[in-house]
Amino acid sequence: METMSPVERVLRAVALTLVVVFFMFPIFWIFLMSFQTNETILAIPPSIVFSPTLSNYAALITGKLQTAAGTLDIAFMRNLGNSIFLSVASVAVALVLGVPAAYAFARHKFKGSEDIAFTLLSFRFAPPLLVLLPLTQYFQWLGLSNTYFGLIWVYQLICLPLILWIVRGYFEDISADVEYAYRIAGHSWFATFRKIALPLAGPGIAAAGLLAFIFAWNNFVFALVLASADKQPVTVGALAFVTSSGIQYGQIASAIVLSVTPTLALALYAQRYLVEGLSLGAVKG
Amino acid sequence: MTTLHLKNIVKRYKSQTVLDDLSLDVANGERLVLFGPSGAGKTVLLRLVAGVIEPDEGRVLIGGEDMTDVDAEHRGVGMAFQNFALFPHMSAFDNIASPLTATRSSKDAIADGVQKVAKLLKIDHVLSHHPKALSNGQKQRTALARALVGSPPLLLLDDPLRNVDAKLRFEMRLELPRLLAAEGATVVYVTQDYKEAMALGDRIAVMSQGRIRQIGTPQEIYNAPADIEIARLFGDPTINLLDVVPQRGGEGVFVELSNVRVRLADYDGDVSGKPCVLGLRPETIVFTDASSPGAIPVTVEAETPLNEKTVTLAMTARGREILVSRPAGTPGPVAGPAHIAVNGAQAFLFDKASGRLLPRADIASKRNGEAA
Amino acid sequence: MASTATLRKPASGFRISRKMLPYVLSLPALLVCIGILIPFFTAVIYSFQRYRLSQPWARQFNWGENYLNFVTDPAFWNTLKVSLLYAGITVTLELLLGLGIALLLQRRSTINNFISIMLLLPLMIAPALAALMWKLMTNPSFGILSYLASLIGLHDFRWASSPDTALLTVVLVDIWVYTPFIMILLLAGLRSLPTQPFEAAALDGVPRSFVFFRITLPMLTPYILTATLFRLLDSIQQFDIIYAMTQGGPGNTLTVFQVEAYLNFFQSTNVGRSAALLIILWAITYTLSNVFIKNWLRLRERARGEA
Repeated sequence: METMSPVERVLRAVALTLVVVFFMFPIFWIFLMSFQTNETILAIPPSIVFSPTLSNYAALITGKLQTAAGTLDIAFMRNLGNSIFLSVASVAVALVLGVPAAYAFARHKFKGSEDIAFTLLSFRFAPPLLVLLPLTQYFQWLGLSNTYFGLIWVYQLICLPLILWIVRGYFEDISADVEYAYRIAGHSWFATFRKIALPLAGPGIAAAGLLAFIFAWNNFVFALVLASADKQPVTVGALAFVTSSGIQYGQIASAIVLSVTPTLALALYAQRYLVEGLSLGAVKG
Repeated sequence: MTTLHLKNIVKRYKSQTVLDDLSLDVANGERLVLFGPSGAGKTVLLRLVAGVIEPDEGRVLIGGEDMTDVDAEHRGVGMAFQNFALFPHMSAFDNIASPLTATRSSKDAIADGVQKVAKLLKIDHVLSHHPKALSNGQKQRTALARALVGSPPLLLLDDPLRNVDAKLRFEMRLELPRLLAAEGATVVYVTQDYKEAMALGDRIAVMSQGRIRQIGTPQEIYNAPADIEIARLFGDPTINLLDVVPQRGGEGVFVELSNVRVRLADYDGDVSGKPCVLGLRPETIVFTDASSPGAIPVTVEAETPLNEKTVTLAMTARGREILVSRPAGTPGPVAGPAHIAVNGAQAFLFDKASGRLLPRADIASKRNGEAA
Repeated sequence: MASTATLRKPASGFRISRKMLPYVLSLPALLVCIGILIPFFTAVIYSFQRYRLSQPWARQFNWGENYLNFVTDPAFWNTLKVSLLYAGITVTLELLLGLGIALLLQRRSTINNFISIMLLLPLMIAPALAALMWKLMTNPSFGILSYLASLIGLHDFRWASSPDTALLTVVLVDIWVYTPFIMILLLAGLRSLPTQPFEAAALDGVPRSFVFFRITLPMLTPYILTATLFRLLDSIQQFDIIYAMTQGGPGNTLTVFQVEAYLNFFQSTNVGRSAALLIILWAITYTLSNVFIKNWLRLRERARGEA
């Protein structure tokens, strides 16, 4: 790159600072808010100097809110537990279903394989409500309404295409000869899959799993339509939380902080794979 | 040892026919070299024998048994790949041991087997290394060791020397025949290097465009290439090819090169008047004095000394380029006018239209007659 | 050595044939596919029915009536307008911003890499929660943004609660969440471009604007196309941010396709109209996704080729 003039250097620095402030400030502000009581939050002008309190977190974790009207039970911890269970289970199912299929699509070009792969991909881009609304009725008939099983099944809509298309790319990157060599050495296709393909695609599979976890965690509409309060993840739970009476703003903020921390931590951990995952394998970082 | 028979193999990829009704028989203990340019279908053929890809038509028989529908792991062949295809997440030891673990041999038996073959290939000191830590030569030997370790009756070697440097290739070319002989397996060996083919093959099958063009001993192919293409592929420097029209003369058939008649003793009158291509191996052409009979005047353009030979580019009076090869260290003209002599008995005639080698008149009886 | 004695025989018993194997491997995923395709077809049928949850007895096929009614239905035209407006504004702004940020961060350096990772964080926050965060910040009584607005003279700026500024507010949240998506794809694209043309241009003293419009942009086009179409597909069906922020309000200011369909289904219990809306949305996304997949595949081939 060419050398920059001092003016340009300053302009760039200013622009970058503005960008960082715009994108980081909300996270920073909500984080601060989660350590504040209603008095400091409502103070005008707002200040970043205050004596921090953990009372918001304590209230969420114990599930007991002290309000003027008395003690209020909140189920935020249950939402958090639901989020963890739904996301982990959905990713596990998607891996069990998706990895063998990805292997089949990568290694064996068979009749209809591309059609199935693209159908799965098109799920990613179809309006989710189109499937969800009729599904509410099917779930009633099948007794799957408000069950973890039903939710995990529907979560495959986002997890499966992601796993399938990313992992497929990783399998395609393994030289076919390496697998042939293992077959010729006398091992079955399954042994080859287990001892050669899986270990070599391992990092990619792990990354796809982490990304699928993030997307499952962040999903909102599935549980909104299909789950009642006791099965709802944090995305839906936190929203209901806002409308419940007597809630303190700091507690909403700390609920948000608790809800986004897992995905942010995973994203930082898996950031090397984010580009590839976000583009469903089309762009490498 | 075992036999291999391929019967009418057809393999297509999309609309492209990669193997076109190909049949091939390899005898017990034979070393057959598949030779041909890239894209000829050699590698596909080898994989088909190994069982990792399936033919669209035709049968694969190993040891007389139909293996066409048998999975690769049950065919009991050993194979080395051009790109080595080592398992990157396993040590050299585990790589080599992989054919033994499949048969559930005991731990000791596996260790013994690996040690033995590793010693033979001089890689016993790097067995704990992963492929990443191996030099190219060591990788190649590890791949070979993996193919050999199970003592497979049929050994498939897919251009194993392709990706190693020239020095190593030279060494291995000397070492391999001994190794393969000791192994006693039937071998199908793929290469694009004619010297390798000549050095290693009991027989060579020349492939191009999915078919076998010619099959025979190295000498047969060198001395009687079935067509111009094969003649060009075998030999370094490349064979000289000159358009000629043979004529019938007093003593038999001759061609004229720069107005000098070269008698083609092996051909009879059938070829006269037919547009032909004359094939002259560079090493059959010698420099000579202007005064000797049959001397053809040329101009020496350039000389390239190679290791064991010197190659000279000469130009005939009609502006045709001729390559002359002589053993290094023997005297020869460096530049300017010179004369060459051509031995008509060692020349080939190809039909210009079809490119096929024109049949010689009963060579054997004629040779015998001369000898008598 | 007997010629075939050492050959291992095919194992008898359980064995999946070579031809069947890929089908067996992909069958479970396939079944899930089918499970999801059934409700899709059900939705198609609903869209041709007069079907209200409140009047299940009156359910019957009315064929194209749901669709025909749209022509004279101002609410539908409002939905279409708001959806297109929302998608158009967000994607355009995100593309410009994302490209700008990617160019700022193009040079590999510790600080640039750190910033690019930090900027990804909004993208990793659930859009519904992001909306909630902005809701807290735009709260009229204590929101920091409301306070900042008042500092520049915008007293009583009501953000998402006012029909005049609701669209602006949700667009702002969308930009906050999704600009990093475009930024990170274009950054990866920029960094994968061959350096030669740029070095040659620098040596020849070619003006920078010329380099940008004649070299950078054309070479970046596949990435821009993929990122834009990807975002367009998501943005035209945005639900989470809008629903979490305003539930489509105030009034019908933000009743984009999916929000309108959701409200039709659960509030007005008009299943037929809801399904017809979603089918129209599906037709739009299906058309877009065909264009998208073509570009996406080309890019994917390229990425795999470099591997």
